[in-house]
Amino acid sequence: QPDCFYFSVLLDLCLLKKKSPDVDCLVVNLDYVSCKWNKTGTPEVNYTFYSKLGNDQWKICNHYLTENNVNIGCNQQVDSGDRFKTFRTRLTNGSENFEKGHELKKQVKLNPPTNLTVLNGSDFNLWFYWNHTSPAPLHCVEGEVRFRTNNNNWDFSKVSAGIQKYCINLPSSSSRYELQVRNRIDDSCGESIFWSDWSEPVVWGSNNSTYSKDLMSPWTPVIYLVGVISFILLAMLLMHHERLRIILVPVVPKPSPFLHNIEDWFQFSKGLKDNFKPDYNERACPVREYNYVSQSDVVSSDGSTCSVTTDQTDCSIEHDPEDLSSPFPSNPVSSEEVQKASV
Amino acid sequence: MKLIVFCLFTIYCCSLVKASPMERKKLQEVLRELKMLKRDFPNTELMMNTPPKDIEDCCCLTALTCFRETLLQQFGISGKYQKKLYKSLNHTLTISGLNFCNTETSTTNCSTCHSHPKEKASEFFNRLESLVQRGLSRIN
Repeated sequence: QPDCFYFSVLLDLCLLKKKSPDVDCLVVNLDYVSCKWNKTGTPEVNYTFYSKLGNDQWKICNHYLTENNVNIGCNQQVDSGDRFKTFRTRLTNGSENFEKGHELKKQVKLNPPTNLTVLNGSDFNLWFYWNHTSPAPLHCVEGEVRFRTNNNNWDFSKVSAGIQKYCINLPSSSSRYELQVRNRIDDSCGESIFWSDWSEPVVWGSNNSTYSKDLMSPWTPVIYLVGVISFILLAMLLMHHERLRIILVPVVPKPSPFLHNIEDWFQFSKGLKDNFKPDYNERACPVREYNYVSQSDVVSSDGSTCSVTTDQTDCSIEHDPEDLSSPFPSNPVSSEEVQKASV
Repeated sequence: MKLIVFCLFTIYCCSLVKASPMERKKLQEVLRELKMLKRDFPNTELMMNTPPKDIEDCCCLTALTCFRETLLQQFGISGKYQKKLYKSLNHTLTISGLNFCNTETSTTNCSTCHSHPKEKASEFFNRLESLVQRGLSRIN
């Protein structure tokens, strides 16, 4: 029987623990305290709510929050300084009595800032201004701003307590700026752990601007086309004119211990390369001064003329007039011209 | 004579106007010094007479005196931050900034310092911090 007794006591305690409602309280905008006990679901019974601030008397709730005709919460008016005092709550239902103590100093949630406006300043910067509606002094309220450009990702920035403005430097006239702000109690006045909701957004900028990150100029495709054509022309020019290619793109010699001929270091054409061969032999074309001699002078001479018999073919080198690579193009000289040139 | 009275009255009015920002700055300075002391304080388990969490408006100055004297008794003013904090808690601007009492009759009901139960040093510092924050949240 003692076992049964202990078992029933334990069972009662478990059931009691299950049934006891958990009250959560939040100071809203430093105007009132909102307490709710429906975290685990709508209660089965209607509780009567009492609250006590510091050493004051218990006060009954005069503004219940209901759900399906069941009390689930209570809003109680408080002064802004009351959050530094211990806040006690009591839920009663007949003989049941559930009391709990709350530290409200940090359990504050302000209303979002209002009257968010934007101005284009005389310094060409974008200035945003807002107000807060709580009774908290200005030096007790710190803010946080988020803004984005052309619907890109949000950028966040903290605003110190006592300041209710924000600046975006030198905005682009072709971009769209959107900004929101939220606030909370500052650390010097008992920092609240909850931020307010974001304010209504304010937008500045061009409505017709495209939201692509790179706005393309109409001249860009033209410039690209001109560049491509120029490149093709340059490539064609270089392919057909080796000399020009050598000038624009100098050949870098590639010395190697295995190559004995210096012309192998350079990537020249065959015609040009032949000119560097050590066994290259080109007959010199004799150049004589023309001197017209009459027939009588030719006969009276002792025959020791200075005319030099030359091979008629000395200067007739096979030459391809189209081969520009040959550095020594020679013109065919007729035999008559050779005789005339005798000294 | 009238001119002297007028000038004195003007100076008095100006001092009233300027008092709020100076009180605010002083209380913010007290908070900073308190945070430095809390950070460097080695023994947070030390037990000290601590005013209660719920201090009546007219007992705040009594509580301030208790905090100050307990600090002096426990730590002295040898340390850098202890000395600064003690001086700040003794400053007239701090006293005026934490004077929430509008009536003069309630001070007799405030508990003495030795009657307060002892709490850990961490709780002592937290309650002092709350008192100063309460003062700052009332200054406009």
